[in-house]
Amino acid sequence: MTKLRVAVLSFAHGHALSYARILQRDPSVDLIATDPDGSGPDRGRGAADELGVAYVDSYDDAFAWGPDAVVVTTENSGHLALVERAVQAGIHVLCEKPLATRLEDGTRMVAAAADAGVRFMTAYPVRFAAAFAELRRRVADGELGRVLAVHGANNGKMPGGDSWFTDPELAGGGSLVDHVVHCADLFDALLGVEPTTVRAVANDILHPEIDGRVETGGIVTLQYPGGVIGTIDCSWSWPDASPTWGGLQLEVIGTRGSVRVDPFAQHLGGFEATGPLWIGTGDDLDEAMIAEFLDAVASGRTPQPDGGAGLRTLRIVDAAQRSARAGGAPVAPA
Amino acid sequence: MIERVGLIGAGGVSHVHAQAWRELGRTVTVYSLDGAPELARQYGFELADDLDEVLRTSDLIDVVTPTPSHREITVAALEAGLPVICEKPLGATQADAVAVAEAARAAGLPVFPAHVVRYMPDYAALKAALDAGRIGPVAIARWWRHGEAPGAGSWFHDESAGGGIVRDLMIHDLDQALWQLGEVVEVYGVQSGASETGEPNAVAVAVLTHASGAISQLTASWGPRGTTFRTGYAVFGAEGMLRSDSDRNGPYLADVPGDAASSGYMPPQTRAVSPYTAEIAGFLDVVEGREAAARVGVDDGVAAVALAELVMQSIAEGRAIPVGRVDAAERESGELR
Repeated sequence: MTKLRVAVLSFAHGHALSYARILQRDPSVDLIATDPDGSGPDRGRGAADELGVAYVDSYDDAFAWGPDAVVVTTENSGHLALVERAVQAGIHVLCEKPLATRLEDGTRMVAAAADAGVRFMTAYPVRFAAAFAELRRRVADGELGRVLAVHGANNGKMPGGDSWFTDPELAGGGSLVDHVVHCADLFDALLGVEPTTVRAVANDILHPEIDGRVETGGIVTLQYPGGVIGTIDCSWSWPDASPTWGGLQLEVIGTRGSVRVDPFAQHLGGFEATGPLWIGTGDDLDEAMIAEFLDAVASGRTPQPDGGAGLRTLRIVDAAQRSARAGGAPVAPA
Repeated sequence: MIERVGLIGAGGVSHVHAQAWRELGRTVTVYSLDGAPELARQYGFELADDLDEVLRTSDLIDVVTPTPSHREITVAALEAGLPVICEKPLGATQADAVAVAEAARAAGLPVFPAHVVRYMPDYAALKAALDAGRIGPVAIARWWRHGEAPGAGSWFHDESAGGGIVRDLMIHDLDQALWQLGEVVEVYGVQSGASETGEPNAVAVAVLTHASGAISQLTASWGPRGTTFRTGYAVFGAEGMLRSDSDRNGPYLADVPGDAASSGYMPPQTRAVSPYTAEIAGFLDVVEGREAAARVGVDDGVAAVALAELVMQSIAEGRAIPVGRVDAAERESGELR
């Protein structure tokens, strides 16, 4: 059997290591990685060696290897160039979220992938949580009655103090960019419509050490057709002292009742000598997401969440940023 | 010393007040257009035939009537020279609440709006922790409150008559946001609702920007019959976070099929002293001269009603509403505690 050739492009995003680990142990995949823009000369090769993944020195080398698919996990601002290069070469793409730092870049990427007829998937692993799937089924079957409100909170520690996540150029913004999209995507999957109005307020009270380079806290309010309302708390508000990175809570309120979903809640809680202990026991959502991507590539179908989902959620981020910049004026998504 | 209390109203919330008065050992006379004999019988209270009689024979008035009548009864009690405890919201409109505050000032008497959440230990402890700077400057706070919708057709659903989910339910957290995080400079609200089974469900969201820069997100919902009441908060500061969730922190969990004891309107009783009793005892401490001020005063009641009105205005107009001017007016009319 011919193996699927997959290249992981950059370890800039921490999720890349998880994706590489999962791909590496998949017997149907032949994997290489490259990380030419790494902070130190050894970041990429060191990580690849540790994972037992073949390493090449440049994106040129990676493309020359002739991958069938690539995983794009650069800084957010780097997605566009690599995605365009890949799809133009007929290579399928799994792109880390958010798709781009600017809405027009996301639009270009999705159009380019469609023109090239390749599979283009956005990395939204929470979609694959069994708890979310059950919620989605209940909503679709009308078991909650008419949906009135969807509430999401995606809070976590701020990604490493000096990292590109707090660089407005490389990341495209702060917590509004990093943490609105997951909840926005879950709402998209549940409701099947885009919001008509987006309103956001943000501040930089958390993590004063980054001197207000980007927003660290934010609250987004959404209105959907049919009167459904939504909220997203996207703040990097989980204290550094927390034994876990953070989490995502989702609540759907319908006329017949409500459901709360907390996909990262499953854990052993306790204490070790130095403080609280948290051992996650939930499913590996990245694994399910990678499986969907590989299956879609193998069978020639559109993966979900696709580039369109990535673009619709990017539209919400774009609107939230515009609203926050306008001091909290409600805006329509572009 | 307050010996005789006039309890006006005999609806849902009257029972927790009645229980408090019984525990505090005061003599109670009930007057209500509806349900007074039953309430009096249940708690061993006396009955009055009309408002004049209860005002004449009482040392303090406790108003637990539907919101639209709060102003008239409270002002009448003040004019009769009596201190007043008034169930929240203090008035059906900001104008009503301001009128109550003005009447209190004119009479030189206290009016205590019954924002009972200030007397709930998890909220009082949060206030103490925030005031002590335990989690540093607050950036984001989420407050939530979910319960069963009041019966269809009741005044609770009539926004033109002092009802509505913002004014009746969310007002608890509007008061909390003000108490815990201070002055609000901007308000934004959205709401959705539907009636499917005859029970009008509703969800309201308010986002408040505080003068400190902190952002509060408030969610209130009225769910279908049988909805479990739950409330909580998560407050995030630059140096830590604090959260409390009634359905996770509770010391009491029942699993009794067909249980009739649960209530979707109010939190279950899980403490030796109910917060309603603690609240009324706190008010008596002021009226009877043991304390200079209670945790909540008439100006706080005005501020909460004013903020609720701004949330409703934002919902209606679909825009964020700046608070500045209204706030100044409140301060002017609300110095008395």
